[in-house]
Amino acid sequence: MKDEKKSKSISRRDFMGASAAFTAFTVVPSHVLGGPGRVPPSEKLNIAGVGIGGRGEGDLHECGSENIVALCDVDDKYAARVFKKYPNAEKYHDFRKMLDNQKNIDAVVIATPDHNHAVVAMAAIKRGKHVYCEKPLAHSIYEVRKLTEAAREAGVATQLGNQGQASEGTRLVCEFIADGAIGPVRQVHSWCNRPISPRGIERPKDTLTVPDTLNWDLWLGPAPYRPYHPCYLPFNWRGWWDFGTGVLGDIGCHQFVSIFRALKLGYPTSVEACSSNFYEPAAVTEQTAPKASIVRYDFPARQGMPPVKLTWYDGGLMPARPEELEEGLRFGNPDDNLYIGDKGKMLGHRLLPEARSKEYGKPPRVLPRSPGHHKEWINACKGGEPAGSNFDVAGPLTEVVLLGNVALRMGQQLYEKGLKLHYDGPDMKVTNLPEANKYIRSEYREGWTL
Amino acid sequence: MKEKTRREELADSKISRRDFMGAAAVAAFTVVPRHVLGGPRRIPPSEKVNIAGIGVGGRGGGDIEAVSSQNIVALCDVDWRRAAGTFRRHPNAKKYKDFRIMLEKEDKNIDAVVVATPDHVHAPASMMAMKMDKHVYCEKPLTHSVYESRMMAETAREHKVATQMGNQGQASEQTRLMCEAVWDGAIGQVHEVHVWTDRPMRGINGLYWPQGVERPEETPPVPDGLDWDLWLGPAPYRSYHPSYVPFKWRGWWDFGTGALGDIGCHRIDPVFRALKLGHPTTVGACCTIVNDETYPVASRVTYEFPARPGFDPVTLHWYDGGMKPPRPEELEEGRSWGTNGILFVGDKGKMLEERLIPESRQKEYGKPPQKLERSPGHHAEWINACKGGKPAGSNFPDHAGLLAQVVLLGNLALRPALKEKLTRVKLHWDGDNMKVTNLPEANQYLRREYRRGWTL
Repeated sequence: MKDEKKSKSISRRDFMGASAAFTAFTVVPSHVLGGPGRVPPSEKLNIAGVGIGGRGEGDLHECGSENIVALCDVDDKYAARVFKKYPNAEKYHDFRKMLDNQKNIDAVVIATPDHNHAVVAMAAIKRGKHVYCEKPLAHSIYEVRKLTEAAREAGVATQLGNQGQASEGTRLVCEFIADGAIGPVRQVHSWCNRPISPRGIERPKDTLTVPDTLNWDLWLGPAPYRPYHPCYLPFNWRGWWDFGTGVLGDIGCHQFVSIFRALKLGYPTSVEACSSNFYEPAAVTEQTAPKASIVRYDFPARQGMPPVKLTWYDGGLMPARPEELEEGLRFGNPDDNLYIGDKGKMLGHRLLPEARSKEYGKPPRVLPRSPGHHKEWINACKGGEPAGSNFDVAGPLTEVVLLGNVALRMGQQLYEKGLKLHYDGPDMKVTNLPEANKYIRSEYREGWTL
Repeated sequence: MKEKTRREELADSKISRRDFMGAAAVAAFTVVPRHVLGGPRRIPPSEKVNIAGIGVGGRGGGDIEAVSSQNIVALCDVDWRRAAGTFRRHPNAKKYKDFRIMLEKEDKNIDAVVVATPDHVHAPASMMAMKMDKHVYCEKPLTHSVYESRMMAETAREHKVATQMGNQGQASEQTRLMCEAVWDGAIGQVHEVHVWTDRPMRGINGLYWPQGVERPEETPPVPDGLDWDLWLGPAPYRSYHPSYVPFKWRGWWDFGTGALGDIGCHRIDPVFRALKLGHPTTVGACCTIVNDETYPVASRVTYEFPARPGFDPVTLHWYDGGMKPPRPEELEEGRSWGTNGILFVGDKGKMLEERLIPESRQKEYGKPPQKLERSPGHHAEWINACKGGKPAGSNFPDHAGLLAQVVLLGNLALRPALKEKLTRVKLHWDGDNMKVTNLPEANQYLRREYRRGWTL
């Protein structure tokens, strides 16, 4: 495998990849060596969109300063509006054909359902295309790892679609915590209570005719075959384990980014999860994510910071209302983070209570501000510094998010066996319950490879 | 005042051994009005209690068996199909569909009733019986609403009847050990308790009952043998559907009290006893999407209790629908836990159910000094009390009334109409006055209107 890849693409790009790999985790390589698709700042990028009907439309809109040269979607009906919006873009159903046939593509924006992220992104990266990929980076931990490595090797500019990373709020969280505003942080609670799509249900039994406008086989991509049903698309695939990654996968990459940055998190040592899927039959638990869940991660001490427990809630669950929050103030944002330090608490980037927040004011500004999430990536594609959620950063983040789903899928076994999952992050392995590892990498359908 | 005097006169005029007995029982409860009309029949220990069952098909069948050492004189159920087994086992008992008719007709033959109807009928049945001076064993949760629980406790006290709620775990060795360990200071001051259940959904036993669902639209015919109107009792009218009866009524706001109501009275009971809890000061909750028909699929309810003599303030977290507290670090790797449980978090240690964790700590500690009398059995306690013995462990006035009020209060915090407001406040609870003080609209859920023809 390695040899094959090398023989195909030995180039300056490989130097670039090697040096990026060396430094990527901490410092940004400022020297960018061109590589295929490298575009000078004065020119426009040629961007292809894959999966354009839903969130993809918004992503392309954000890249509107550039040339949108190709659009790919398996669902003509869902994508029709976007196809119309970009009359000059070439239209495709199959991203493989698009990448093979159209040579002027510099960069690809991927907003397919989760189960197709990795195959599309990998195909693009292997061809030296820059990649913007919606969150979560991929459907499985294994895929995330492979993408992270491949992007590093190829030296392409990458960005995960967790646009909150570019926000002022994320920077404030980091700056408050770095400034010691709440002391060492030992607990973080993070939640999302958006009703994203149906979960905790069984697979439909009726088989319907695939609409003329949909290429169902391509939509399935690497996922195991199943008959078409409108309960999967558009959008509602998120709750189905074969396609989506539940609420945690959908929103975790947004919610955790501030936590990861501020607390310099890496891999956790252990994780446990409970959910409303407990006690449901396999016909439910093997099919969909739970209606509600709590996932608990333990992170070890790192870089002068004490161990921290990160708890994720979804489906309407939340931590208990903190005493410091004044009566009458809302504690029920559909998504938020609560940081609990030795010297105080912070809700989002607001110190609690209000009086403390007023007294403290703003932390010293130490982090550079972002020109905008998509703009970061466009700049990176043109030789600027790596984007804030480039895969070297977004990869480990997504792996941790998806690890929560591994724990969720183990269901009540964790409680019956009396275990948390002990996790070896670098090795991508649950060490104390080997059967959990089947959820770290999924089999692809015949004809599909990463 | 005038009426009291009249009652006292009446009581005096009927003075008898029975009233002495009543007075003795009263003494045991500590605070009690002396003036009571009549009072229950005096049953010497050598005699049997004449018992009637109300709701005898499901759990009621088990309760009837548990008291079958006594005379089972009448059985009442609105669903004779479901009651058939119990009817067969007690061929001499008279059969009824309407407890009101049974109590009226059999007044002279009945000393005590066992109530195991769906939750929404507990109070009307038990209250009518108590007002007729019948002893009452009532399944948990004591009632459907907070108000009803309060009324049950007051009425039981007033009528000096022997009462017991069906939370049989209260009679267990386990409950006593939890109390004694806490009182012995085995885990220091307790500031946090977690209680969880596998209900409401399928659970380890395969099937409990659905929550988080909408009202069915079909209107199938009422099956033969079921008196649907009587089954509805005081609840608002709706069409029959098998989604409600048997058993699955638990998930519906109009009939049941959800996972918390079903299991809270069992599992919060030891916490109440061990920590000598009273009314909480606040209640808050979070849950999955909830509608006006059924309780949510999963919830967490948090109660804050103030300091009590000898005890620091404590926060109690209730979890259902698969939700659980974090695995305690003290629990040994490989030690199974989690289906249902109680975790006491003290400032000197933790206790999972009645065992200190880790197990090495429990071994080292051994048993706490025995301070509590052991029980002859949950149903036997009640039978003894009916015969003039001391009050049962979960009698309404001293214990179950309060416990049930607090448990049911948690359901207020899950009400869909309050959900948005409850993002801004916790419910502040004035237990003595039975009132939410900071969100007046919450108080409508403490008590509900009965359907015409039904009274408490």
